[in-house]
Amino acid sequence: MKNPPFEYHQPDTLEDAIQLLAVYGDEAKVLAGGQSLLPLMGLRLVRPSHVIDIGRVAGLGAISTESSGVSVGALVSHSMAERSEKLRTNAPLVHQAMPYVGHRAIRNRGTVCGSVAHADPAAEMPAVCRAAGASMIAVSSRGERAIEADEFFVGYLQTALDVDEILTEIRFPALAEGTGTAVVEVARRHGDYALVGLACSLTVESTITAAALSFFGAGSTPIRLGEVEQLLIGEEPNEAAFTTAAAAVRSSIEPSADVHGSANYRRYLAGVLTQRGLTQAASTVGVLA
Amino acid sequence: MNERTQTSGLGFVGQSVTRVEDDRLLRGKGQYVADIEPEGVLHAAFLRSPFAHATIRSIDVTAARRSPRVTAVFTAAELNELTNPFPPFLMMPGLYTPLYMCLSDKKVRHVGDPVALVLADSRYHAEDALELIEVDYEQLAPVASIADALSVNAEQVWERADGNVLLDKSDAYGDVESVFASADRIVTERFSCQRQSNQPMETRGSVIEVDPETGHLTIHNATQSSHMLRWLTAALAKKESVRSSLKNFATNKDRRDSFIVAAKEFMAQNGESMQNQDNAGPKSQLRKDRSMLRHLPRTLFGLLGKDDYPTVMARDIGGGFGAKGPVAREDIALAAAAIDLGRSVKWIEDRVENLSDGGHAREEDLTVSLALDNDGTFRGLKVDLVLDQGAYPAFPIGASMATQIMRVMFPGAYKFDAFHLRARTVATNKGKYVAYRGPWANETWARERIIDVAAKALGYTPTDLRLKNMFSDQDMPAAMITGPALDETMSTKKTLEHAMQVVDIDEFRDEQETARAEGRYLGLGFACYHEAAPGPPDYFDSISPGAGTLGTEYARTTIERDGSIVVYTSQMPHGQSHETTYAQIVADELGVGIADVKLVYGNTDRTPFSVMGTGGSRGGPLGGGSVKYSSREVRQQVIDAAAELLEASADDIDIMDGNIHVSGVPARGVSFADVAATVISEGDQPFDATFGYTGKGDGGWSCATHACIVEVDLETGRVDIPRYVVVEDCGPIINPAIVNGQVRGGVAQGVGAVLYESSVYDTEANLQATTYMDYLIPTAMEIPYVEVHHLETLSPGENDFRGVGEGGMIGAPPAITNAIEDALGPFGARVTDQYLPPTKILEMAGIIDPD
Repeated sequence: MKNPPFEYHQPDTLEDAIQLLAVYGDEAKVLAGGQSLLPLMGLRLVRPSHVIDIGRVAGLGAISTESSGVSVGALVSHSMAERSEKLRTNAPLVHQAMPYVGHRAIRNRGTVCGSVAHADPAAEMPAVCRAAGASMIAVSSRGERAIEADEFFVGYLQTALDVDEILTEIRFPALAEGTGTAVVEVARRHGDYALVGLACSLTVESTITAAALSFFGAGSTPIRLGEVEQLLIGEEPNEAAFTTAAAAVRSSIEPSADVHGSANYRRYLAGVLTQRGLTQAASTVGVLA
Repeated sequence: MNERTQTSGLGFVGQSVTRVEDDRLLRGKGQYVADIEPEGVLHAAFLRSPFAHATIRSIDVTAARRSPRVTAVFTAAELNELTNPFPPFLMMPGLYTPLYMCLSDKKVRHVGDPVALVLADSRYHAEDALELIEVDYEQLAPVASIADALSVNAEQVWERADGNVLLDKSDAYGDVESVFASADRIVTERFSCQRQSNQPMETRGSVIEVDPETGHLTIHNATQSSHMLRWLTAALAKKESVRSSLKNFATNKDRRDSFIVAAKEFMAQNGESMQNQDNAGPKSQLRKDRSMLRHLPRTLFGLLGKDDYPTVMARDIGGGFGAKGPVAREDIALAAAAIDLGRSVKWIEDRVENLSDGGHAREEDLTVSLALDNDGTFRGLKVDLVLDQGAYPAFPIGASMATQIMRVMFPGAYKFDAFHLRARTVATNKGKYVAYRGPWANETWARERIIDVAAKALGYTPTDLRLKNMFSDQDMPAAMITGPALDETMSTKKTLEHAMQVVDIDEFRDEQETARAEGRYLGLGFACYHEAAPGPPDYFDSISPGAGTLGTEYARTTIERDGSIVVYTSQMPHGQSHETTYAQIVADELGVGIADVKLVYGNTDRTPFSVMGTGGSRGGPLGGGSVKYSSREVRQQVIDAAAELLEASADDIDIMDGNIHVSGVPARGVSFADVAATVISEGDQPFDATFGYTGKGDGGWSCATHACIVEVDLETGRVDIPRYVVVEDCGPIINPAIVNGQVRGGVAQGVGAVLYESSVYDTEANLQATTYMDYLIPTAMEIPYVEVHHLETLSPGENDFRGVGEGGMIGAPPAITNAIEDALGPFGARVTDQYLPPTKILEMAGIIDPD
């Protein structure tokens, strides 16, 4: 479990970092907190020839609010995000997901952007991004672009980032008035990857006007269930509506089995979490009918 | 009522003395194998098979050897020329033990099977070089399960076995057929336990230091059995011809004399037990494989011919739970390479290696039939046991030994008229089966499960059915139907009665009913057992004739010139707190403080010999007895010497708080240092006693009842344990806090066994749990608070301690699975698997279908 040889780079500026990426492309990996990359290298499942440690790059460690929402820089650790009042009020899903993210030691080192760029389908942050409609800011020597969360996660551990791009920032849009959110998950043990999890939101003006259901651990990417969300719109936020949604979730997802749970188990659990998540989301804005 | 009895006057024994070990360990001053780094040491990495079952067509190490950071690459072609094969040990009637080498040459038998050894200047470079080795494998059909192994069409893991069956042995007690014919009811169920892994915090590891002048080996190893490792390394790691060994032996008088002395000593201790051995074991071995006749003489004469055996040093060890008992193929490969190169080598097993082949356990299928009458009286028990040992048998004690302990212990604390057990050990393409804390534990699991199944079938409560059939004090002395004698120390019934008071069953049933009305599912499960800790004198021989040879524990106590008290033990502590509990015993014997006693262990140059080291819950009763009596002899030596100094009669001398004085005149006393300085001179050390102890003669049973309350969440399949109660009886307790720790640690592993841990292989015999992402150890978040209640049943005679290392893990799986079945009662669920992850829970409740 020792990593193969690689060349280590420690740029001080974002400019230097993207230049290195421009040169080494798919031979390089960006290292932030290292909570996923380093174990994979130890197992020799990932073998970059160059590791670009952005830990010293200035200007990537901020959580900042803008009129349009709140943004999280590439070096913001899970622990920083967990403690951030700005995120708690402006992007509550991030805050609500944190107790499920690994353990304290992992949250101290691991970064929010790192988890999103790694794109494990059973991790919380990618699903939170999809539920919240976040945009990912990708920077390369060719310039900067924003990638919508719905376009970002393209497959198992695969994102829309090009090989020369760094995910420098995630922008979470402002919450609409009357929006409640919740993150619920079931894992084998406290801190494990989810068997299935759900990041969800409901916007309610007497009836539901918008809904987001973003599942993790239920497929090869985080999954938004647009059809089920549509079913909820126009309904009152009550148990009957959520039960209907749960049944619809169970019939629309196709999770796979692994040593921790069968496909049928995950399908059943996704329904349970739909019910629990939506109930919790509705009660956070005090609209549970 | 609690039967706690003051047994120790005002001494340390019986008190929760703070652990002597903790100051060192908590300050990071412990010394583990990984901390040893001799100058210029070479770092080892093993190339391991990626396939479960394959022949090796060719292996090319040229590129790896060319790597500038690599000192040597050994394949089987080189290494197996240097070493002897692992021989069969404890040959049992009906058992075939395949012989095997350190590295595999023609064939690999499991994923992780070592085929080459690289030595480089760092572990990183060694692993880099592994990638340069090319092996051409031709895959064979894998044998991935017990069902595969029993299939007549399966490929053979071992060519000379009967298919893949290595042991097939049946034993009957009483008139089984007529008892089953005359019983009112027969309840039958098949139980299946998943493969689990011991998982100590510290993996295996070995640093072999070679003295450049003399070639003497010092082996730093995380071993539970330092002397076994020393002897096995001497026997296997450097092959010599019989002729040259005999020549060495004949021409070295010291060697010859010391051998004769040692042999006489061994026979004096074990002669009687040896006579019980029959030769049916060797015969069944030889029928399969006569190569033993060629290898054994070379190995044994090799031992006689050697002037210098390695020194094994084991210091702090981060747990073992049985996995560090065996001498492993890696241990011998590393020693052989070190000898061959004349260089020190180091190997620290990584977690992937450890999860793959650091030791698996418990994978057994048990079909159990319980014959009983309508009034609930147990009549007979029939068991068909199949154990999956994986590919390579562990040395020295293979998996088949566990089947025979299961045979002896299966009837448990219950009376039967007849008992039959068929034990089969099968080989599969998996990692090796080792002893794991209570290696026979599945006899308790399956028995306590079938009793619950029978109680339900007959309409009894589980506790009533148990109480009705248990041995009680009025029955003593008695004997298990399988042989071992029972006395008052077999107090299982008392522990059950006590547990029934601690857990108010009626109140629980009310609560259960209320909860069910709210859609919450609570369950209560009991499990009862007794274990040999160390058991009566006939215990080992009931398992395997002659096995009693393993029983003796030795200790030596000395007083050094500065008055310090040094105790040398043949035990090999690896987390059990020997330094504390032995200091308590010795301090009481000698009238000194805990801090005055120093325990020496793990260094084979200094400690007395023992085959087993630490294992089998023997540290307290046997190891404890040996330190007690060696210290008592030294006490007399000190008193005799002090009597002269104080000009008093030895009978009048007393020792308190290290003050040796004439009774009633402590002010005119002398210290151990005073006596030692006066009496000990160059070449005269009168304060020195060694004691070999095999137990106090009878009884020796440690007993407990576990009671577990679960709440099963039928939305998620998760199981919560709101209450867990253990009522244990290990006789007089040396240190209650340490006993509680042992019980709680065992229960934690039992929680893991039922809810989290599975070394699961797929149908191609690929291990699916090779990291801690997939092999789930319960953490503090998953382990319930465990209430421990102590009974302290005494039996006549001194040194009445009984072991407590394994019971926690024996009792927990049945208590938890019984509770889960009780919780799922409204769904008619029947628990037949030990492993009950969330998916399985919802399947049993009929909420989801299997995929």
